[in-house]
This record gives sequence, structure tokens and C-alpha cells, in this order.
Amino acid sequence: MFVAAEMRQFQQIFTRPFGLAKGSLCKRVERECKDRHTGMDCRYPEHREVNLGHPPWRLGSGNPCRNDGQNLKLTTLTGGIDLRWFRLIAPLLILSLCCTIVHGKEQEIRLFGWSDYLVQEVLDRFTLETGIRVIYTTYESNESMYAKLKLLDGGGYDLAIPSTYFIDKMRKEGMLQPIDKDKLPHYKNLDPRQLDKPFDPGNHYSIPYLWGTTGIGVYTAKFELRTIQTWADLWKPMFLGRLLLPNDMREVFHVAFRVLGFSGNTTDPAQIRSAYALLKKLLPNVRLFNSDAADVLFVTGEADAGVIWNGAAHRIQREEPAFRYVYPAEGVIIWMDSLVIPKNAPHAELAHRLIDFLLRPDIAKLSSEKVGSATPNAEAVKLLSPELRNDTTVYPSDEVLAKGEYQTDIGASITIYTEYWEKLKAE
Amino acid sequence: MANYFKTSVILLLSFWLAVFVLVPNLLVLAASFLGRDESGFINWSFGFDNYLRLFDPIYLRVFGHSLGLALMTTLTCLGLGYPFAYFLAQFRTSLRPVLLTLVVVPFWTNSLVRTYAIRSLLAAKGLVNNALIAIGLIDEPVRLLYTRSAVLIGMVYILLPFMILPLYSAIEKLDRRFVEAAADLGAGRLRRFWHVTLPLTLPGVIAGSVLVFMPALGLFYIADVLGGSRNLLVGNFLKDQFLDARDWPFGAAASMVLIGLLFLFLSAYAYSLKRFAAKDDRQA
Repeated sequence: MFVAAEMRQFQQIFTRPFGLAKGSLCKRVERECKDRHTGMDCRYPEHREVNLGHPPWRLGSGNPCRNDGQNLKLTTLTGGIDLRWFRLIAPLLILSLCCTIVHGKEQEIRLFGWSDYLVQEVLDRFTLETGIRVIYTTYESNESMYAKLKLLDGGGYDLAIPSTYFIDKMRKEGMLQPIDKDKLPHYKNLDPRQLDKPFDPGNHYSIPYLWGTTGIGVYTAKFELRTIQTWADLWKPMFLGRLLLPNDMREVFHVAFRVLGFSGNTTDPAQIRSAYALLKKLLPNVRLFNSDAADVLFVTGEADAGVIWNGAAHRIQREEPAFRYVYPAEGVIIWMDSLVIPKNAPHAELAHRLIDFLLRPDIAKLSSEKVGSATPNAEAVKLLSPELRNDTTVYPSDEVLAKGEYQTDIGASITIYTEYWEKLKAE
Repeated sequence: MANYFKTSVILLLSFWLAVFVLVPNLLVLAASFLGRDESGFINWSFGFDNYLRLFDPIYLRVFGHSLGLALMTTLTCLGLGYPFAYFLAQFRTSLRPVLLTLVVVPFWTNSLVRTYAIRSLLAAKGLVNNALIAIGLIDEPVRLLYTRSAVLIGMVYILLPFMILPLYSAIEKLDRRFVEAAADLGAGRLRRFWHVTLPLTLPGVIAGSVLVFMPALGLFYIADVLGGSRNLLVGNFLKDQFLDARDWPFGAAASMVLIGLLFLFLSAYAYSLKRFAAKDDRQA
């Protein structure tokens, strides 16, 4: 969700030391002491540090040098945090600031991805090995990622992870730059079956990162597994107000299309309208739309069933053994998220290095394990524990895949989708 | 010298307002008459289509929802804020600044962070539910989160200080002698409140209501975080138009309508202030 990214920014702002204010206030206190006492020293020099002259709301006596117990302590201003430590680390901070200014241009890479999608451990290891800092900003939907990149004219970020149909769209609109595979020695590790897909023939613009499916997740302690085996089962009245749906237009419409027996990539306005009519009937069952932290919602008991990505399902299963991931009989949604470099990426060179790092078998293995989605990296699959490799939630059988469908670019029809999607949300 | 200072400050302020308020709003106004473009942001076709599209019953309902919720928020804030401010004003003069500071303290934490905190309070396995189960009032967690009441709770929590502060300053200024005179003349508690205290603090009530109502119309993240992206509000709708649907002209048209509404409320506020001032003059 957009909010998650903003939260992180606010956290950064709020953990920024307040210490700078202290120095200036102390100086002021000292000057006032001298003015008042014509150069004489204060009676209680040890209190100079903590007394404030005139706090904005005029608490205390106003004489900063007299400690009558009423003067506001600086720690009250900062919410009880003692700032003496700041003096100790100030030189370090200044040093690191200088370093950032000197090396800033080559030491930083801006990554734009789904939340919970790049493992912090992997990014930390990358920073440790290369010294390149990774700034990870998240988005909740392909649409908002696209809108931001479009606004920035393909600049601002060095790496993004769109889904298939958006790669198709962005590639056609010239928003991506070709990826130089000579700079990717680990490219050979990728499973050829996961390459050269219709949304980017020859993989000129995109390198597969993870792939997976969207199916039904159900908490079997609340609902019997056999009652929910198809997409159409979601419409059953027993799910009234219980379902979680992704906040993703294409995914939600895809579900309705499959129930109606259409392709998930239809551009026929009549079919889209009938899907909208069907989804309207699903709304009473929907508790919320969320793509941000579906696993958290299940684990905290907010949702009991819903449409969910297999990665999140895998993470829930680790904590809730009673949770099951179902491949609906009508055919599952298959997706693949690939790494792309926007046209005007400021650090395209570094982006290549990060892509290659992510293609390293041990790193790809780690990503797949932590995120819970399948890796397209053949060498990494070999390294996986048999447990994970044989987990049908993560690596579905060939029959399931044969029935599944990828989403492709639907061109101008997207406006029809958007219109109905808005109507659905406003309902 | 003072004159130069005055002129330069006024110039600076006008410049600031022109560049950061007037020009952006004119751009939004201009965009609202243009058309949507699939690969860019706008195309240069002039028309009133965007405004006409807003008359779709669905979008009218979005506006209706938001107005209703903002009104509920304002009334709840007023109901909670008036007694709060009243009792605050009864405290010793030396204690009042401290208590007022406590009202403002939550602002040190960003409101988004506080909204997330409310989410964890209201969650199915959150504090409120656990407490209710512990007392034995309920056996199963109640669904508190992702409902309209959750959104209302969040809105009231975030906006309550904006109601308390103007109310407090109005009640603090209230001349006790009027209330005492009314008591001397035999008015009971209720009559004293209704005929003396309330009319004299009405400017504070109106100011507080305006300060709560207007942000309540535009806030979108509270509905997003606590409402589960359902029951779209104007704020969410605007955000979606600009960020997800990329229909800037339509979003611009909707925000022009919202600005128009706010302008209407503000002029009503200004009018009521003028009436109060006229009344005071007459009495003087």
C-alpha cells in the first residue's frame, strides 16, 4: 500500500536526532546568563544544560539560570529522550554525511517494488559486498507504480518489479531501457522455460525475479476445505463479510472472468460488464481489499478466506498449519514479476549489478525461501530443500500450470476495467 | 523603516501564495476541462465532460458518503470536545497550559503512525477485543476493523484537538459574571447553559466545527487503513484518480467540486462571524 512506503519515510524523519536544536538553545542560555549577570557566572552552572530560556508556551519562571524546579527540561521537549548521546556521535554523523556527499552518486540505488518482496537480508548482503546502499520504496499496485514512473518520465528509480502485463505496456511505451546481458554473468542460471514469454520476447527489457500463482486461501479452522474448491465458491453466502480480496483490479476481474468462462485478458466490453455485474454480487462477502500484507491479516485473524498470492499463503502456513492454499478448478492465475530498468534510471549501471546479484543461486534461493514464491532460477531450485521444492503451494504441478493463465496487456480496454473497478469500490 | 518591513513581508506572502496556491489551483482548474490521455496525462480537448461524468449516481454517492461521514465526525467531536474544553477551562490557571500541552502532545507523532496504532488496537486479536474477551463480555472477537465505525473512530481521534482548542479559547474568555447574573435571576443549570454559556461560546463551536469538518472531507488515509479500501470517500477517490487510474482531468474536476464545497462552507463561516461581530456592536 502507498501508506506503507510513506510510513517508512515518516519513521526516518521521526528518528532523526533532535539534537541539533540543543546546541543552539544552550548557546542562547549562556548568552542570556551573561547579559543578566553582567558577565558573572551562573549560580548553578550544572543546570545550564537542561534549562530553556523561554519555551514556546511560557512554562517556568523565565530565568534560565535559576533552577526553581519550574523550568522546562529539554528532555520534556523531546519526549523524554536524553540527547547527551548526540554530542558523542555528532562527529561520526558529520563524517558519514561527508562520505555520502562525496560518494553519494555511486553508492546508492533506488529500488521500487512490491512490499515484502525484496528480502532485507538480501539487500543488506548486497550492501555489505558492494558498498552500494539500497533505498527500497514500495507500492501496492502495478497501476500506482506505473503512474509514478510515468510522472517521473522513467527517472527517479533504478529498478522496478512490474508484473507481466505492465512490462508489456511499459516496453511498448518506451519507458524501459534494454538490459545488457553481458553485464549479467548469472543470467545463464535462469530456467529457459521461464524466459522468452509473450510479454517480453527475448527478455530484452526484463529479467524474471519470482513467479507464482493467485489462488484461494482458506483457514480450515473456520471453513471446511471441501466447501471451497472453485472460484465460484467465493460467492457462497457463508462467506458473508469474511473475504479478503487483493486491491488489484486485474486480479479481481480475472476471478470473475474465470467463473464466467472467459479469458482473464478479455477486451470485450460486454464480457467486462457481465464480470462487473457478477462482482457486485460478491461485494457483500468482501471484508476488505488489500494487497499490502495479506499474510498479516490472516495471522491476526482479520480474514478467514480470500484470494491470495501463493507467497503470502506459504508464509501464513508457516505460522498457521490449519491454513490451506487451494488451486481453483476454473484455473489459477499465474504471474511473474520481473526486474526492469526504467528509461531514465539515474544509476543503470548499479541496477545491472543488483540484478546479477539477485540471479546468484544462493541469493535467489534465499529470496524464494523468504518471500515464499517460486524462483525462475534453475540453479537455485537445485539448492532448495526438498521440503520447499515439493511444496505444491509454491511449485504447483504441471496440470495446475496447464490450466492457469498469465495476464497480458489489454491496451485501451484498461479504461473500461478502471471505470467498473471504481464503480465497484464506490458501491 | 517599519513600512519597508511591512511591504516586504506582504510581498513575500503574496508571492508565496501566488506561486504555491494560486498557480497550482489554476493548473488544476485548467486540467479539469481537458481530456484523458492513455500514455500521457492529458490531451488537449476542451469540454465539460469531466464535470458531467461526476453526476453519475455512483460518484454522487461517494460525495454523499463523505459529507455524511464528515458531519458525523464533526458532531461526535463536538459532543466529546465541548465538555472536555469546558472542564479544561475550570482548572487552576497555572495548570491549564500543562493540560493544553497534553492535548497537543499526540501531534508529535505523525497522524499516519497513530492511525496504524488504532488499527492494532481494534484488530481481531487486538487490545480491545482481548480485553472484552478477558472480562467475559464476548467469546469471539468482534469485527471492529474495516467497518465504518472504525473509520469514524479514527477520524474523531485524529481531529478532536482541532475541536477542543478553539472551544477552549472561547470558553476561557467567557465572562463568569453573565452566568452568575443568570443564576441570581433564578435560571437553572440547563437554562444557564442554553441561554448564556452556549450563545456566548458559539463562535468557538463554529470555528471548531469548520476546523474538523473540512479536513474530514479530504482525509483519505484513515479510510484506507481502517476501512479496508471499501466505501470510497472523496479523498480516496481523488487519490485513485491521480495515482491509480491516471485520469487527471477527472480527478481535477472532482477536486474543483470539492474546493467549491469547501469555499461554500468557508463563506458561511465568514458570514456567521460577521453576524456575531454586528451583534456585539449593537450590544455595545
